[in-house]
Parts: sequence; C-alpha cells; structure tokens
Amino acid sequence: MKILVLSLLDLVRRPRKNLMLVLAIVIAVALLTSLSIVSTSANTTILEVISKTGHTLTVRPVITERSADDITSDTLTTSEVVFGKYIPEHIIPEIERSYDKAIKAGWERKGGLVARPGIGEINIEPPTWAPRLYGKTSLDGNPVIVTGVDFYKEYFVRFWWDLASGEWPTDATRIRQAGENEAFIGGVLSQARGIGAGDTVTVNGTPFKVMGVLQETNSADDYMLFIPIRAAQRMFDKAGYVSLLSVRAMCPNCPVGDAMVELNKTITGITATSQLDIAGVQFEFFNMLYNFLLAVVTATIFVAVLSIFNVVTGSLYARTREIGLLKAIGASRCQVLRIFLYEHFALGFTSGAVGYLVGIGMAIVLNAFLDIGAILRVDSHLLWRALALGILCSVLAVFVPALKLTRIKITETFRTQWET
Amino acid sequence: MDAYIKIRGLRKIYTLSNQRVDALRGIDLDIERSGFVVFVGHSGSGKTTLVSTIGGLTRPTEGTVVTDGVDIWKLKDRELSAFRNRTIGFVFQSFSLLPTLDVLNNIVMPVIFRRNGTIDVTALRDKALSLLSDLEMSHKVNAYPSELSGGEQRRVAIARALVNDPEILLADEPTGELDIRTEQEVIDIFRHINTEYRKTIIVVSHSLSWIDKADTVVVMKDGQVRTDVQDPVQALMGEVCTG
Ligand SMILES: Nc1ncnc2c1ncn2[C@@H]1O[C@H](COP(=O)(O)OP(=O)(O)OP(=O)(O)O)[C@@H](O)[C@H]1O
Ligand SMILES: [Mg+2]
Repeated sequence: MKILVLSLLDLVRRPRKNLMLVLAIVIAVALLTSLSIVSTSANTTILEVISKTGHTLTVRPVITERSADDITSDTLTTSEVVFGKYIPEHIIPEIERSYDKAIKAGWERKGGLVARPGIGEINIEPPTWAPRLYGKTSLDGNPVIVTGVDFYKEYFVRFWWDLASGEWPTDATRIRQAGENEAFIGGVLSQARGIGAGDTVTVNGTPFKVMGVLQETNSADDYMLFIPIRAAQRMFDKAGYVSLLSVRAMCPNCPVGDAMVELNKTITGITATSQLDIAGVQFEFFNMLYNFLLAVVTATIFVAVLSIFNVVTGSLYARTREIGLLKAIGASRCQVLRIFLYEHFALGFTSGAVGYLVGIGMAIVLNAFLDIGAILRVDSHLLWRALALGILCSVLAVFVPALKLTRIKITETFRTQWET
Repeated sequence: MDAYIKIRGLRKIYTLSNQRVDALRGIDLDIERSGFVVFVGHSGSGKTTLVSTIGGLTRPTEGTVVTDGVDIWKLKDRELSAFRNRTIGFVFQSFSLLPTLDVLNNIVMPVIFRRNGTIDVTALRDKALSLLSDLEMSHKVNAYPSELSGGEQRRVAIARALVNDPEILLADEPTGELDIRTEQEVIDIFRHINTEYRKTIIVVSHSLSWIDKADTVVVMKDGQVRTDVQDPVQALMGEVCTG
C-alpha cells in the first residue's frame, strides 16, 4: 500500500465528505466550458457568414427621389433587385480604380501594410468584379426575372453557390467556356415551373439549355433564371449597361467600409453598400454579451472558490486527530501533506472531467436556446483547461490549511475528536 | 554501560495565554533495554508529557533524551518521523485507528511511511496476519474499527505498533476504559512481547495490575520523579487516597 492508495481509500470510504467541493468545481468548470464552447462556436459561425457574404461590396445605380417618381411598371426596385436603372459599363474601370485606392489607403492607415514588417508584402489579390443585368420577360409564356451574369465571375464572387441538381462546371475553365445558350435556374423557380437540369427553355424566343438548378439561398437568386450577360444585354437591348456590380474583397480584414465610403463620395450615379456591417454588428453584439456573461460567471466562481476554501479548511480541521495519528506512527509533515494533495488532485481531476462533460451538455442546451444556428465545436484544449482548473481549485483549497495543520503538535491533536 | 534511554535535565513548560505550567521540572532517568517500565502518579503529574517526550511526540523545553546513542530532539522533522516510525510503537489510550481502513490496512499503515527499503507485500501481509493470530484477532482481519469492541481495537493498535518491529513499545493508559478481564489480557500481551521479543516496554497507568507486572515502577509527582519511594504500590495508594 502506498500513500496514494491511502488517499484514494479515504475518498472511496467517505464519498459524501467532499460533495460540496466537487459540486462547486463541477458547476464552475461546466459554466466556463459551456460558455467557451458556445461563444467560440457562435463566433466561428458568424465569421463564416461574414467571410461568405459580408465581404461583398455591391454597387447599384443610384435611385434619386426624382427618379423614384419615374417608377413605372418597368422600373421596379426591391431591396436586392433594381429594374429600369443601369450603370454604364464605361465607368466600371473608374469604380475599380477608386475601390483599389481606398482599400490600399485603408490598409496603410490601419498599419496593415507598413507597421507589420514580420508579414512582409501583403499580397492583395486583384478583386473580381461580377456584373449583373436584370430584366423581366416571359418564360414559356409566364413572367420571369432573367439575370445576365458572367458565369465565371459570378461563381467566384458568390462562391457559396451550389447546385441542387445538374452538372456544375467543376473547373473554372469550363465555367468560362459556358456557351451563349446555356443557363442556370434558381431553386424556387425550378420547382414552380417544373424545369430541371437538361431541359431547354425558350426565353423571348431564344432557346437556352438549363445546365443546373441552384440550391436555395433564401435570396432573390432563388427566383431567377441566369443566362450569359452578353445574351441578356442583347435580349433587353441594353448593350453597354449593367444593373449591378458585386466585388468580393480578397484580403483578410479588408477595409471594405472605406471603399464603400470612397465610392459613394467620388462616383456619381451609383450607390455602394457593404454587407459586412450586418454580420459585423451581430459579431460585436455577441462578443459583448459573451464578455458580460464571462464577467458574471467569473465573479460567481471567485465567490464560490472562497467558500470552497472555508469548506475544505473545515473538513480538514475535522481530521486533526487523523493527522496527529499519522504523524505519531511516523509520517513526516511532507508525507501527510502528500496524502491531502493526492486526495485533492484526484478530486479536482474528477470534478474537472465531470464539469467538462456537464459543460458540453449545457453548451448543447444553451446553443439550442440561443438559436443562432451555430455548429458546436469542442476544442480538445478545453478538456485540458477544465482538468487544470479543477485540479488548481481543489489543490489550492487544501494546500494552505494542510500546510498549517501538518505543523500542529502531535499531542495536541489527541485532545480533539475523531471525525465521524 | 550507558542506559538504552538516557533522560537528562528534562523540562517542559506549557505557556497558555497568561499562565505557565511547569509540566516537567528537571527529570533525570535511565531506562534499560528490554525493560518493562510503568509510570504512575496522580493526574497532572506529567506522565503523558514525559512519555510523549521519550516517544518523539512532544518537544521538551530543556534537556535531552538520548535513545540508543541518538539525541532525538536534535533530529530534523524527517529523521524524527523516521525515528517514530522505526523505533517506537505507540498504543494510545483512546481508540486510534483510521476509521476508513479495515483492520489489516490499519496494521500495515506504518510501513507506508517507511522511507527506505522496498516493501515485500506478501511478507508484510503474513506478518500482520501472524500478529493478529498472536493477539487472537484472526477472524477480524477485514473488519472496520467501528465494528470492533474497545478491547479488540486496543489489540489492533498493539499489532500496528509492532508491525515495524520497533525497539520500544510505548503506551499511555492502554487499558484505560477496559474491564478488568480485558485489561489483564492486554497486560499479558505486553508481557509476552517483552519476554518473547525482548522489546522495551514503557507504559503509563494508574492500574495496580500493571504495577504488578513491571520490572521498574517510576512514581511521578508535580513534574518530577520521586526517588524516595520504597513501595510504589503504597506510594500510589497514598497519592490516590490523599490526593
Ligand atoms: N498541551 C498542553 N498545554 C498546556 N498545558 C498542558 C498541556 N498538556 C499538559 N498540560 C499540563 O501539564 C501538566 C501535566 O500534564 P500531563 O498530561 O503530562 O499529566 P498526566 O500525568 O498525564 O495526567 P493524567 O493522569 O490526568 O493523564 C498538567 O498540569 C496539564 O494541565
Ligand atoms: Mg496523561
């Protein structure tokens, strides 16, 4: 039998003695673990949303109040789609220049390019500008929104696009080579009209072969038929015009907001909007909430740990007699101390592990309750942290009183009662 | 030849908040190896304090205890612990077994704290079992202290005191709360250990039964050893009657 066994036997024989300590540590560890899991998962999810949509800048023709008067049945504006208003293609180079300048200036102002020598040249990839031309016409006799796009650029900018059925041109070359008479169809429209991949549709008298059906994205895209932009310009007699330009910022933390301001300021007739703001605000709000919760939980745990110290000190004093006996039969101070440290190491380890599991359970519940659609990710380092926290609390709680108690005079301990 | 235990000028002063108690007032005493010594004296005369000092439990204010040539109160905590562990076997008055361990584990407990030498588990178990059978306790090997009578607990404590094969068996009122028959059994065990294994026995007791069996009876009074006593029984009776 070793000292360790002596410690463990004591734990096994008196399981209820340490219930308070275990409970407190389990709750503390579980709270921190669940909070950490939910917040990292939510943050990652939100960041993914940002990286998918948020870094996109959209340039639309400006709708002045006067032109709003002009709105006829042909001029219709939804939040996403503008009809009857166009951007001339010849100003696109100017937009691109203005955008590049603003991004570079923003980077430099933030110190991104100059103040981080370790990174070296930050390679800002040339942004891809995807044009769109919206038009309304009839499809096999029914009204439909036809959107002219550059398939290659569109796919690049809206890289979250996926096919529900049909054959996605898997490589960029194939997309680039998409024929003049090839089309893709939005998920909802496909269902409503019973048009699938491989079908041929006639738009305004021109036949198009449907290459694939897009998966629904809960946007206006679901209701559209996509054809090559040149074909659309011919069809709607809008050669040299586009309805909308999207650009995906290709550098990390691109100052898209700066570019947006710059474009709105310098180029007349257009309005630029960035989707970063929505997700960004969500992100910041969530971080605020998380920090607040963390503060509350930490304060609670601090108070809890203080009371654990009292509980442990109390239960240790109840074992004074045992300490005296152990010393009398030849245990040195150090050996007695080791008995308690082993005991509390085991307690802390167990509590930390249980707290970790409870924390995962709580995270699942909390995530369902928050309903932000975050996919839970459990990092393995959380387990180590949970165990470390459990052991730290438990061992710290016993260390000081044990150090004091092992110094007690042996004969003095015989005046105290045995713990029952 | 030097005595096995040599006590010289031993003083112990307890200082409570505002008063001081002179528990031992200069004691000189020799105890021979394999002796059977019984300490008697009225309550508060310093018996417990004296044997605690001999056993390495209570540090004296002044004076020396030299056991087998070693001045034990000059040892460091670790060495003193080892001395308690290897040289002394304690049997205390009130029950002193760990309630969380069964009889067998309570007996082998001192071995855990042994610092050097490996532990032969089977040999250790055999030794514990043979001690238990000597003490007629074989049937209670796996019982817990709470399931034992006072006399049985005392026997387990004796077995534990002997497991490390100590030179000295030290007992403070080992039969304090026992009935006369059980007390007699315990005394016989001590006597047996003394004659059979040649251990030095140091016992504190008020009981005449112990005095009968002792080689030496030391009478204490007011923190000193009375040297003027011819008949310790008489002296004790006198103390009890007058005191
Ligand atoms: N830890 C202590 N603190 C203060 N005084 C003490 C302490 N231990 C003993 N004393 C005092 O020292 C004196 C001797 O006590 P001790 O316990 O040695 O007597 P004793 O002979 O064993 O008595 P008893 O027969 O009642 O057990 C007593 O006056 C006692 O009150
Ligand atoms: Mg006493």
